Amino acid sequence: MAPRSRESHIMFLIIVGLMGWFVPGAGHLAIKEKKHAIIIFVTIALTFATGLYIGSIGVINPVGAKPWYVAQLMNSPAVAAIGQITRTGDYPVYGRPNEIGQIYTSITGLLNLLCIVNAVYWAHLRRNGAAGE
Amino acid sequence: MSMITAFIMATFTTPENISVNPKSMLWLLPLVAAISIVYKTTKLPKIRFVHFVKESVVLFGSIVIFMAITALVLVAFAWLVTE
Repeated sequence: MAPRSRESHIMFLIIVGLMGWFVPGAGHLAIKEKKHAIIIFVTIALTFATGLYIGSIGVINPVGAKPWYVAQLMNSPAVAAIGQITRTGDYPVYGRPNEIGQIYTSITGLLNLLCIVNAVYWAHLRRNGAAGE
Repeated sequence: MSMITAFIMATFTTPENISVNPKSMLWLLPLVAAISIVYKTTKLPKIRFVHFVKESVVLFGSIVIFMAITALVLVAFAWLVTE
């Protein structure tokens, strides 16, 4: 197979990054790392769901907790849709459930960012034949 | 809307009742497990079950032990300041 041109390689890296953002683990799936993709998807989805279960969807608060919201957005664009629902303030949450829920959902966002960077890095290495070593 | 859907929706729209006590600190364990698993997934180029589990457990233990030591140091510092 002929090597990709520089432009199509950059486009491929962007697609890998976007896939990893839209669905956690999909970036790794794009570079044919099925096991990595499954583990990342299951772990991030479960941890994020646990955060929402503990604190309710109210922990995604684009109005009163912007820094947390930015980290939560790294999970998926779907978080922005939840943010639109909670923006009205109809789902108030306070105290320890709020703290734990925010920490869980924000940490999973940052973990997904790590996975996106990792998938893009591996995709870049493979062009040069280093295969993620 | 079916009963099951309504039940699932309800669990995600009302927060759990978690009081502020030492036991609530145990909520950090599932999060540390998730961090260990995802981190090791990004670090290992090839995933073999036994090796992967071993690496994740070692990282999990390291994080928990380091956090316990940090907590002890902070408690000792607080005790020295307040005594």
